Amino acid sequence: MSDLVLSATQMEVKRERSAIGSLRLVQTACILVIALVIVSPLFMLLVASLKDDRFQILADMGSFRAFWVSNPTLSNFAEVGNLSGELAYGRYLLNSLFILACTVGFGLIVNSMAGFVLAWGSLRGRALILSVVIALYVIPQESIIMPLVIMVSRAGMTDTFAVQIVPWVASPLYIFLFYQFFAQLPKELFEAAEMDGASVFRIYRSIFLPLSLPALATVSILMGIEAWNQYLWPILVTQTDYARPIAVAIATFFGQDSIYWDRAMAASVLMMIPILALYLAFQRWFVSSFVGSAVKG
Amino acid sequence: MTLQQPALAATAALARPARRRDKGRLFQEIGMLAPAVALLTIFLIVPFLLSFWTAMTNQPLVPRPTPVRFIGFTNFLRILKDDLFWISLWNVSRFTFWILPVQCGLAFATALLLHQKLPFRNFFRGLFFLPAITSMVVVCVIWGTLFQYPTGPLNQVIGFLSAGRIQPIDWLGDPNWAMFSIVLLSAWQAYGFQMIVYLAGLQGIPDELYDAARIDGANAFQRFWHVTMPGLRPTHVFVLVITTIQAFKLYTQVAVLTQGGPRSSTETVVHYMVRTGFEEQKLGLASAVSVILFLIVLVIALLQRQLLRRFDV
Repeated sequence: MSDLVLSATQMEVKRERSAIGSLRLVQTACILVIALVIVSPLFMLLVASLKDDRFQILADMGSFRAFWVSNPTLSNFAEVGNLSGELAYGRYLLNSLFILACTVGFGLIVNSMAGFVLAWGSLRGRALILSVVIALYVIPQESIIMPLVIMVSRAGMTDTFAVQIVPWVASPLYIFLFYQFFAQLPKELFEAAEMDGASVFRIYRSIFLPLSLPALATVSILMGIEAWNQYLWPILVTQTDYARPIAVAIATFFGQDSIYWDRAMAASVLMMIPILALYLAFQRWFVSSFVGSAVKG
Repeated sequence: MTLQQPALAATAALARPARRRDKGRLFQEIGMLAPAVALLTIFLIVPFLLSFWTAMTNQPLVPRPTPVRFIGFTNFLRILKDDLFWISLWNVSRFTFWILPVQCGLAFATALLLHQKLPFRNFFRGLFFLPAITSMVVVCVIWGTLFQYPTGPLNQVIGFLSAGRIQPIDWLGDPNWAMFSIVLLSAWQAYGFQMIVYLAGLQGIPDELYDAARIDGANAFQRFWHVTMPGLRPTHVFVLVITTIQAFKLYTQVAVLTQGGPRSSTETVVHYMVRTGFEEQKLGLASAVSVILFLIVLVIALLQRQLLRRFDV
């Protein structure tokens, strides 16, 4: 009797295994199809940026030549990579990098300090400030920019780097992310340091901050992507090339009668490189902490 | 892009109770909190409150000698009477209607696949996130070429797959197709985020539940329907709400590729707002639009809390 049951279970296991085997095959095939859809446009961009002739780029689009370049050239990059003049994409790239570095740099400091005090401070208004911060999170950037444009132009801040950095340094979302991360660390950490006579800032600086690499990586990537991809705000507050970011500069390709796809492609590749480097550098921490901190319901 | 759920944690207890205060410590804490509080006040709270005030004035973009007048709800009435505003609202609703199944469905399916023990799954996770870090303007350059009419890559692929039966589509030039084209490129760009959120949700479902279901004799489909789906309810609500809010803020793709055209078929609320404020230079009117936008987002966010509360039990 028990033998019979056992063999029935074994058969089932065997059947399930072979079913799983063919299922895996289907799943892998699906993944590869999705990968093709995701990657081929990016690959096409890279290939096209290495082609010299903009008419050829469009002609190649209709065939598999869109994914192949027979004599790659960097001439497009040389054409758009200037630091001044009409196609000063090198300069716009540096502008964007500067804005990115300042926004993320100041943002990490300001938001993590606030998050730390909200989690571990002794201020009486902490709970209130925390709930205000959370409520502010609902306000979309789009619905405050109208008055903000007036404010910054009255303050004479248009066409500066500061106007693209300072307003976006403090952010309810990142304060909350840091708050949440710090709050889950064991309180013995804080108490032991306090016993040793360390000040609040010292505890934050020497104990909690070094422990928060995953949070720092997550916020760096999210803030970095956000700062890098800003489009609406800079078109409203920059009029000259002085502080113009590369996203705005690339969009101007579309305003012309016939689009210089070769240059647009090269400028686009230029724009992808730094954010890709940032992503690859922090990805390890990013995915784990992202997964750890996202929706808990 | 936002992946947090602050509203939920609002009620969570603070990390630890207040303790003995001394002055030096208090000053330090205030000093550490001050930069964030000051910046949020100046660049978020003040403009937010100002937008309600500006919405009720005839504030122009460039200062004029005539003083700014308070005109009550006139701006709101003018907007509500403007057909273009309703068209833009209708368009973002259409966009939402398409983007939810396309983007969230694809993200959900991919997350389910990548949650299995497939070879190289971490590599694919990283790969599928690439479009999400790509700037929307770059995405517009890429898809601007893919959408070329009549011989762009997308039309070629469709022609090939349908053996020439489907005629080339003027993706961005045909009012019937333009918004759907915007949906396609937006979904391609943003779905990596949703995928990661779904992966997190899947990892949050304890394995014991699956084991228990298996012992009770549940097959794969039953396990999916009775364990995975209920476990993902908060994730579903979160993803749907975030995507809807993003959809109502649709701007960059439209501004770069179609400028709201052809024949206003891709006009969106934010594009309408920016045009009113900066091309027509009527900042008061534009502020009224921004207040309406805020109210829409607020309603969606409150709806989310309500839904989650119901599911949480």
